[in-house]
Amino acid sequence: MNLLDTLLRCVGALVAFLTLPLVIGQTEHKVMAHMQGRLGPMYAGGFHGWAQLVADGVKFVQKEEIVPADADRRIFRLAPAVSLLPYLIVLLAIPIGPNGFVGQALDAGLFFVLAVMGVGVIGKLMAGWASANKFSLLGGLRTAAQLMSYELPMVLAAASVAMAAGTVSLTGIVAAFHWWWIPWQAVGAFVFFTAGLAELQRPPFDMPIADSEIIFGAYTEYSGLRFAFFLLSEYAGILVVSALTAVLFLGGWHGPLPDSLGWLWTLLKTFALAFVVIWLRVTYPRLREDQLMRFAWTGLVPLALAQLALTGIVKVAIS
Amino acid sequence: MITSLLASAGPLTPAARSFLSPTGVEIVFLLVGIAVLGSAVIAVTTKQLVHAALWLVVALGGLAVEFLLLTAEFVAWVQVLIYLGSVVVLVLFGLMLTKAPIGRSPDADSGNRWVALAVALAAAGTLVTLVVDAFRTSWIDLGGGGGSAAMTGQSLFRHWVLPFEALSVLLLAALVGAIVLSRTKDERPPKPRPGKLRTGKPVGLSSVPASTTPPQES
Amino acid sequence: MNIPGSGLAKGLAVTLRTMTKKTVTAQYPDVQPELPPRSRGVIALLEENCTVCMLCARECPDWCIYIDSHKETLPAADPNARARTRNVLDRFAIDFSLCMYCGICIEVCPFDALFWSPEFEYAETDILELTHERDKLREWMWTVPAPPALDPAAEEPKEIAMARKAADKLATAAAAAAAAGGDA
Repeated sequence: MNLLDTLLRCVGALVAFLTLPLVIGQTEHKVMAHMQGRLGPMYAGGFHGWAQLVADGVKFVQKEEIVPADADRRIFRLAPAVSLLPYLIVLLAIPIGPNGFVGQALDAGLFFVLAVMGVGVIGKLMAGWASANKFSLLGGLRTAAQLMSYELPMVLAAASVAMAAGTVSLTGIVAAFHWWWIPWQAVGAFVFFTAGLAELQRPPFDMPIADSEIIFGAYTEYSGLRFAFFLLSEYAGILVVSALTAVLFLGGWHGPLPDSLGWLWTLLKTFALAFVVIWLRVTYPRLREDQLMRFAWTGLVPLALAQLALTGIVKVAIS
Repeated sequence: MITSLLASAGPLTPAARSFLSPTGVEIVFLLVGIAVLGSAVIAVTTKQLVHAALWLVVALGGLAVEFLLLTAEFVAWVQVLIYLGSVVVLVLFGLMLTKAPIGRSPDADSGNRWVALAVALAAAGTLVTLVVDAFRTSWIDLGGGGGSAAMTGQSLFRHWVLPFEALSVLLLAALVGAIVLSRTKDERPPKPRPGKLRTGKPVGLSSVPASTTPPQES
Repeated sequence: MNIPGSGLAKGLAVTLRTMTKKTVTAQYPDVQPELPPRSRGVIALLEENCTVCMLCARECPDWCIYIDSHKETLPAADPNARARTRNVLDRFAIDFSLCMYCGICIEVCPFDALFWSPEFEYAETDILELTHERDKLREWMWTVPAPPALDPAAEEPKEIAMARKAADKLATAAAAAAAAGGDA
């Protein structure tokens, strides 16, 4: 019974991991196209190109796997897995609905999630270094610099909401949520979401993979399935960051409908945020490297600290 | 941190169990420990710089697993967050920024290796002796959620506030020191004079040519 | 009165508004494009009108019109008359791999033997196939649309104007003759 339960939860997380990023990717195709006055993919699968990403996957599988001659072969091959797996593991800990509708409720879930997400960057660093390519190395360096700058405001913003809830368990945080947390934690939500975007290297924070100057950053030398893994990790990252923001700052499964439909609310909020991610990508141009750093250190970190102070003051005042 | 955890884990009861019939968790603990030791040894002996850093990832990750096996969940995730997510990334960043050839670096060796080995052995010996002597055969019950975030926080902020605050002051001092060290002295290069045409008219509008203006806030 | 971030919000509004608007993508192979009148797709030849005057071939800037002909002597219908010679078209070909669609040949043809057709889907896998011979050029003739209607305020077409002038002249002449007859 217990084993079956665990197995079911793992399979559930795996299925979510394999389908939801594709849904987000397809949404990105379509939304981006329409925001640019285009139609986007229309052929694959028949109806409005719904199977485009499946077709892409088939194409990636067929492609030749090329490892550069001077590359560090083992690390080069290991890197996509290191980049992708953390997001799968993180999905296990994100609560979808009340009453244990979660892969694995962790006592220090918030820390777990933040910690494991940080590990994914090592994969990108490995890819950047092992490719034996200057562009890749530059991309890796930028990735590392960006991660180190944005990890701090992200953790601070998460700490603010943990402080408000008085727990670091994700289910506990959602359970403690009240509607007035949204204005109270708005700045924290902004900082968390923006820093999350930067950690995913999504536009407008995509300097590490800026195609017009360093080709594709750390992924330049990759092809075939391993390249697809990197792309999948990006979309899985969007899912994870959106879901986390929804759970931490937007109240997860809380909504007008009865609790049994809570999972629907979580999913709705997650996809609304994923839409925002796509929307931002279409709207804004890429930030320069120095602008990126300045935004993190002089924009997000002070904001996160201010939010932390506000949370503390309100928390003391109402307790 | 470990001692604080142990202190928070309840009373130290004398050993009522034998070391000769290990449980599954203990076996896993030992195996992971061996893996951690092995990867740590490789990290300091390998001639490939980036590989050393990556082996460090394995060692630190294994350590996090050890914490988990000791039910110190919070410490384990902090270990991953701080060491894997930040410190190793910083190390890799530094390596890539300076010198990170693919393959062996013949000069990746130190003349101090024997001294280092001696220091490491001495430190390990001291720690092992200390811990063994402190706990002897006492048995700690790990079942009671002693490593949870709530317990860790309580013990940290009740019994260990002073060391905690002292540490934060130390870190603050380090932070300030880093800023002071990294600040460049205010010696700007002299402004280039505006160029002159042959007729003697100055080129450019006011003082500084556009190409030398520092980037503006945007 | 410049709220910080208003520019960012404006950008978001623009993309969102564009998303709700109709897209401009042409789904070409599924949906045929609506071509404007006088589209220059391919040149059609109305062989019957051609007199092999060679004007088109000479005016063509990149010499992509190939014309071969021979003279035929028609026996005189009247024994007193001279036998007439007539040009007979042997080959008329346009090499569309060279053609730059300037339309000079069509403009210059005095006998209305060349026309624009809006058909544009005649890509080939072999460049030699792009040389359309007279049969194919004649086939394109079926796709030539009727000339678009004139603009409301446009000048009258020359043919009609001339015909009208002639008719008017005849009418006035007839009227004058009638008046003269009435007088007489």
